[in-house]
Amino acid sequence: MKEDRHAIEVEDLVVAYGDKVVLDRVSFSVRPGEIFVILGGSGSGKTTLLRTLVGLMRPRSGRIAIHGQNLTAMSDEQQMEIRRKIGMCFQGAALLGSLSVADNVALPLREHTRLEESTIDIMTRIKLELVGLGGAGELLPSELSGGMRKRAGIARAMAMDPEIIFYDEPSAGLDPIVAAGIDELIRNLRSTFSLTSVVVTHEMESVRLIADRVCMLHRGRVAGIGTLAELEGSDDPYIRDFLTRRPAESDADETEWARSLTAVD
Amino acid sequence: MIVVVGRLGRWALRQLGAVLGVSVLIVETVYWLTVAPLKGRGFRWRSAVEHFVEYGVRSLPIVGMICFLIGVIIALQASYTLDRWGANRFIADLVAVSALRELAPLMTAILIAGRCGSAITAEIGTMKVNEELDALTVMGVHPVKYLAAPKLLAMATAVPSVTVIAMLIMIVGGWVSSVLVVGVEPEIYLAQTTGAIVEKDLVTGMVKSLFFGLVICLVGVYRGFRVDGGAEGVGRETTASVVVAIFLIIVVDLVFTVLFYYL
Ligand SMILES: Nc1ncnc2c1ncn2[C@@H]1O[C@H](COP(=O)(O)OP(=O)(O)OP(=O)(O)O)[C@@H](O)[C@H]1O
Ligand SMILES: [Mg+2]
Repeated sequence: MKEDRHAIEVEDLVVAYGDKVVLDRVSFSVRPGEIFVILGGSGSGKTTLLRTLVGLMRPRSGRIAIHGQNLTAMSDEQQMEIRRKIGMCFQGAALLGSLSVADNVALPLREHTRLEESTIDIMTRIKLELVGLGGAGELLPSELSGGMRKRAGIARAMAMDPEIIFYDEPSAGLDPIVAAGIDELIRNLRSTFSLTSVVVTHEMESVRLIADRVCMLHRGRVAGIGTLAELEGSDDPYIRDFLTRRPAESDADETEWARSLTAVD
Repeated sequence: MIVVVGRLGRWALRQLGAVLGVSVLIVETVYWLTVAPLKGRGFRWRSAVEHFVEYGVRSLPIVGMICFLIGVIIALQASYTLDRWGANRFIADLVAVSALRELAPLMTAILIAGRCGSAITAEIGTMKVNEELDALTVMGVHPVKYLAAPKLLAMATAVPSVTVIAMLIMIVGGWVSSVLVVGVEPEIYLAQTTGAIVEKDLVTGMVKSLFFGLVICLVGVYRGFRVDGGAEGVGRETTASVVVAIFLIIVVDLVFTVLFYYL
């Protein structure tokens, strides 16, 4: 069956803010249990793609299927059901500032299950141990460092034992050692739970460490999909420039593109 | 001329958009407050109680203080006129009627709008800026269920509750200055007060304050969800939230006064 082969299928996805088309006919599929990296420069539409995949934005056209179920044809109600099977780690972690770290992790459990408070306590502690925050449960998000906040966000995304997890720039803005720690956590979670992981990033270092396959976005289009080695062998000049971190030969073009997106009419 | 028409048109469209937005919010909130709990989708009772304490109990000191002083002031002002006719005993009637019908509900609502309406907008707006609302949605928790529904129930009960106490305190304030300063006999003041209070005034005051509570909460929540563009966005909407809430409170007051006493 098709839905056994693909955890996520995206077909001809078009997403726009008003008249500005930010994603143009994007298609790819993610296999169960793989770490799928979405790579692209600033403004290439990575965050927009992730937000559309989790249902925070409605695409203009195209199809998104999660485990074979068509997300785009669903009512909000049905989407809410699907969302219990997915976890998302936001770029800024997006922990609720008024709740302790432990309460943040417990929130989905309290909202969606009728478990005893003592059971929720234990499950919360397990999730926090999992991400290496065993002793930090009582702290408020504002008392955490950036890396710890990311870990807490991951613990919360893991609370309902999701089958798919999305990370938006998990290692951006962290020092190299902490960032490497997060990369390792992403790999460990995948191997422990055979968790399908979709990671948005623009850091080549982490791509090398974690990616099974990479989808390269450029100006809202898929420039290439494949293993890192396959992409490195690509003859697309943009992909090669990006992977080898060379300044784009066509810099004027980039500014032009940015302007066309931000143009006010 | 064309420019003026264009401006007016755009303004009207914006207002229409706001009305639509608020209507959607009201429908969703009412759903999460009534239908959803019956369908077993839960209601955050603990949050509602916590907010009741915040909006109601914690507002009591400032509301009590101000309403007491207003009671004192109205009595003194009234005496200035009534004294000439030797009618000081009617201070009690004036204080009781204005407290019940107008001043206690209005002062309570305005103070709670300033204290809590702005806080609601700031809280929700900050959450929106930090993507916390998106995080809730992705976790399958509807932000209206999590944030708006408990607040609305808390506000709809807190404002009337505080208003009743404010009415009482205002009458006490009037009693204090009439008896101590103007020299009205305490028993006479009491008798006049009980004679002046009619059930209708109490009921209309309470009905109004219920709607004031709904207005404060809905404006606060709506403005919070509308925040856009970082910290300045939060500041802008927070200020607007209080101003709009107070304006709407006065409008609602006017509407109910006409409904209750002139129709
Ligand atoms: N709320 C919005 N309204 C209008 N346009 C937007 C909005 N958010 C993003 N855009 C546009 O969409 C484009 C893609 O944005 P997106 O945030 O998806 O990029 P990104 O790849 O995540 O970039 P970055 O690496 O900088 O986070 C941007 O160039 C921007 O102009
Ligand atoms: Mg981004």
